[in-house]
Amino acid sequence: MSVSNRSWAILAVIAVLFTLPWWSGDLYKVHLAALICTYWVLISGLNLVVGYSGQLSIGHVGLLAIGAYCFAILAGTYGLHPAVAIAASGTLCALCGLVLGLPSLRLPGFYFAMATLAFALIVTEITLAQGNLTGGGVGLSVPGFPPPFDSPRGSYWLILAIAAVVTWLTWNVARHTWGRGLVAVRDSVVTAQAVGVPVFRAKLTVFVFSGFTAGLAGALFAVLQSYITPDTFVFDLGLFFFVCIIIGGRGHMLGPAIGTIVLTALPEMVAPLAKLGNFFYGLLLLVVVLLVPEGIGHVFQVLIERFRSARGERHGVKPDLERLSKAIQGGRAIK
Amino acid sequence: MSLTARDVTKRFGGLTALSRVSLEIMPGEVHGLIGPNGSGKTTLLNLLSGYYRPDAGTIHMVQQDITGASVQQRARLGVARTFQKPRLLPTLSVLDNAMIGGWLDARAGFLATAFMLPQAGMDERELRRRAEELLHGVGLSHAIGRRANLLEHAEQRFLEIARGLAQRPRFILLDEPAGGLTPAEIDYLGGVIRVMAESGVGVLLVEHHTDFVFRVSDRVTTLDVGAVIKHGTPEQVKRDPDVIRVYLGA
Amino acid sequence: MLVALITGLATGALYAAAALTYNVMFSTSKVLSVTTGHISMLGGIFGAWFVSTLGWPIALALLGSIGVGAVFGLITDWIAIRRVLARSDEHLWLLSTLALATMVQQAAGLWWGTEPKPFPRLIPQDFSAGLADQKYWLPIVVAIVLAIALELFYRRTLYGKLFVAMSEDAFAARARGIPTGRIRAMSYVIAGAMGGLAGFAAGQLTFAYFALGLTLTLNGFIALAVGGLGSNVGALVGGAALGILSAVATYFVGGEYQQTISVGLLMIVLLLKPAGLFGRQSVRPV
Repeated sequence: MSVSNRSWAILAVIAVLFTLPWWSGDLYKVHLAALICTYWVLISGLNLVVGYSGQLSIGHVGLLAIGAYCFAILAGTYGLHPAVAIAASGTLCALCGLVLGLPSLRLPGFYFAMATLAFALIVTEITLAQGNLTGGGVGLSVPGFPPPFDSPRGSYWLILAIAAVVTWLTWNVARHTWGRGLVAVRDSVVTAQAVGVPVFRAKLTVFVFSGFTAGLAGALFAVLQSYITPDTFVFDLGLFFFVCIIIGGRGHMLGPAIGTIVLTALPEMVAPLAKLGNFFYGLLLLVVVLLVPEGIGHVFQVLIERFRSARGERHGVKPDLERLSKAIQGGRAIK
Repeated sequence: MSLTARDVTKRFGGLTALSRVSLEIMPGEVHGLIGPNGSGKTTLLNLLSGYYRPDAGTIHMVQQDITGASVQQRARLGVARTFQKPRLLPTLSVLDNAMIGGWLDARAGFLATAFMLPQAGMDERELRRRAEELLHGVGLSHAIGRRANLLEHAEQRFLEIARGLAQRPRFILLDEPAGGLTPAEIDYLGGVIRVMAESGVGVLLVEHHTDFVFRVSDRVTTLDVGAVIKHGTPEQVKRDPDVIRVYLGA
Repeated sequence: MLVALITGLATGALYAAAALTYNVMFSTSKVLSVTTGHISMLGGIFGAWFVSTLGWPIALALLGSIGVGAVFGLITDWIAIRRVLARSDEHLWLLSTLALATMVQQAAGLWWGTEPKPFPRLIPQDFSAGLADQKYWLPIVVAIVLAIALELFYRRTLYGKLFVAMSEDAFAARARGIPTGRIRAMSYVIAGAMGGLAGFAAGQLTFAYFALGLTLTLNGFIALAVGGLGSNVGALVGGAALGILSAVATYFVGGEYQQTISVGLLMIVLLLKPAGLFGRQSVRPV
C-alpha cells in the first residue's frame, strides 16, 4: 500500500470509529464499543510485552485492577478531578510494573508467567483485605467523567481519543528500531546481545509502559463499569487479554486489534458463546496454537506475500564489491 | 590497535577447552583460525565476543582490558560476529534483519520513538540507507523485502554478514561462514572478506575449509586440543609439519 | 496452633504431590504443564461424583479417580505436548497447556458447578477425631508414599531408568533407540495417576471445587521452585514449607494474605538460591 493510500485508509477508519454512535443503533452498542476501546488501551501496551518482546504475562488483569481502584479511590473517595485521577492511575501502575518486572523478568518463561499469575491473585487478595480503602468484598462505586464526557457518547469519544493516542504511541515503537530490538529479544536473545540490545532493560521498559497503559485502561474501565468489586477482575479477564494477542498474531498490531474487537463482541452477539465463557477462549487458543501458532495476523501476512510474489523468486547471492566497499567506508554515526 | 586474547584458558567442568591461547587480530587484516573439530575455535570466538569469560588470561581491545565486558559492551566498542548456525529473526524482513545491526547507533530512546520525535525519523532513515547499501553490497538486492525465513542457506549467511557490518564494527568475527556454501559462493565470500579487510575492518575467520582460509588470510593460527600449535603466514602454516600431522591424522 | 500446623502440613502435602507431578512430566518432556493442578482437581471432583452421586464403593471410586487422572495426563500429552514439541518455538507448550487447563477448569465449572461441594468420608471415622482426622493424614501419607514410590521406580525398574536417561539427554536417548514419544506419554499417564490419587486423598481437605486447578498449579509450582526443580525430596520439603508457612501466617495474621505470603516465600528462596533448596543449577526450564 502506498503512503497516501495508507493515510486515506487510516482517515477512513477514524471517520468510521468517530461516527459510530450515529450508525450503530442503540446505546448498548456504543457502550460495547467503548469497552472494546478500553480493552485495546491495555492490550496495545501489553502487545509490546507479549507480542513483541515475547514475555508471556498472563496476569495483567492485576494492573487493570490497581488502575481501576486507584481511579475510584482518588476520584470518588477523595474527589480529585477525573483527569488527574486517570493520570495518577497510569503512573501508579507504571510503578507497579517496575516493581513486578524487576525481579520477574529475569526468570525463565514458565516462572515468569506464574509470577504474573501470582501477582493477579495477590492484587485480588489485597483488594479484599484492605476493606477501608477498597470497600473490600462490597466494592466501590465509581464517579463518571465530567461533562461533556458524561453521556454514553461523550465517554465513548473520550475513550476513543485515548485509545487512538495509545495506538499511535505503540505503533511508533513497533515499527522503528525499538520494535526490531524487541523482536530480537523474543526470537533470538543471542542476536539481540550481539548487536548491543540491553535485553533486560528493553524487557523492563516495555513492561513498565504496559503498566502505564493498563493503569489508564483500568481507570476508564472503572468508569464504564460504574461499580467495581474484586470479582470484576478475575484471572480469566487477564487470560482474555493474553489470548487476543496470541490469536491476533505476535509481532503484529492489526491482528490483536481485530482479535480484541471480535473476541469482545462475539460473546455479546452469539448468546451460547457467552455461556461457555472461558471455555471458548481456551478452545480458540488451543486451536490457534496447534494450527497457526504465529497467529491469524501472520496467516494474512503470508497470504498477502504469496499474492504479491506470484512471479518466480530469485535466489542466490551476487556481491557488488565496489558498492560494498563504499557502504562499509560510508558508515557514519547519526547526529 | 588490535583485538587481542592473551594466554586465555577456558574450562568446562573437567574439560579444558583452551589452554593459554594467545591471538591478535589487527585492523584491516584477515586472521584465519583453523583446527580440527573440538580444538577450541568456537570457544575462542565466544571468548572474544563476550559470550564466555575466560578462567585465566585477558582480552584487550585497543589497549583497553575488556575481559569482563558484556557482549553488548563489546558491540559498542566495535565487535561484531556471525554464528555457526545463522541466527536471524525469521518473522522480519531481510532489510529489518540488517537494520537491527545499527541498534547502537540509534539515538532515539523509547519515549522519543513513541512520540515520533525527529531523532527517531533520522535514525530510521540513516539505518535504512546503511542497511540497503550493505545488502546491495553483499548481493542480496533481490531479497531486500523478503521475509528472512524464506531465504536459502547462502543468503542467510550473507545477511548475517550485512547485519554485522551494519554495526560499523572495528572487528568482525566470522564463525564458519563457509559452512554449507557451494564453491562459487565461497568465492563470493572470499571477495567480501577481502573488501572488509581492505576497508579497515579486522576479520577473524574461523573455518574448516583450510584451502579457503589459506587463500584469503593474511595470518593464520592453528589450534589443536585447545592449544596453539602454529602461527604465521598462510605459507608458513601450510608447510608446518605439526599442522600437516594434525590434519592428516585427524 | 497445632491445628494450624497440621492443616498446613496436609495442604503442603497436596502441594508436594503437585510438585512431584511436575517433576515426572518435566523429566521426559522438559515441559512444566499448566494442567498439573487440574489433574488433582479432577481427581477430587470425580471422586466426589463417584461416591456421592453414583454410589460407588470407595475402592472403586479411588481406582476411578486414578484412572481419570491418568487419562487426563495422556490427553495433556497428546493434545498439548506432542505436536507442540516438534516445533521450534520454545514457549508454545506454555500456551497449549494453558489453553487446555482453561478449557478443563471451565468445563468442570459448568458441569460440577462453581461452589465447592463436600467430599465423602473415605474411611469410617467420626468427626470428633480432631488432629487425627483422616483429612489431614491421608494427603500426607499419599505424598510420602508417592515420593518413595517414584524413587524406587527410578532406581529399580527398567522404565524408571529410561525416564532418568531421557531427562538427562533426550537426544542421546533417542539415538540409543529409546522410544522417547512413548516414554513421554507413559510419564504423563503416571503423573496423571499420581495427581488423581492426590486429589482424591485430599478431597476432604479441599472439597470438590472446580477452581482448585489454577491455585494448585500455582502453589504446586511454588513448592517445586522452592524445593528445586527435578528433586523429589525438594518437592516434599518445598510443599511442607509452603503449607506450614501459609497456615502459620493465617493463624497469626488472618487468612487474607495467604497468596502474598506464599509468593513472598518463593521470592526470598529464589533470591538466595535460584535453583531452589535441593535443585541442581543445570536443570533449568527454558
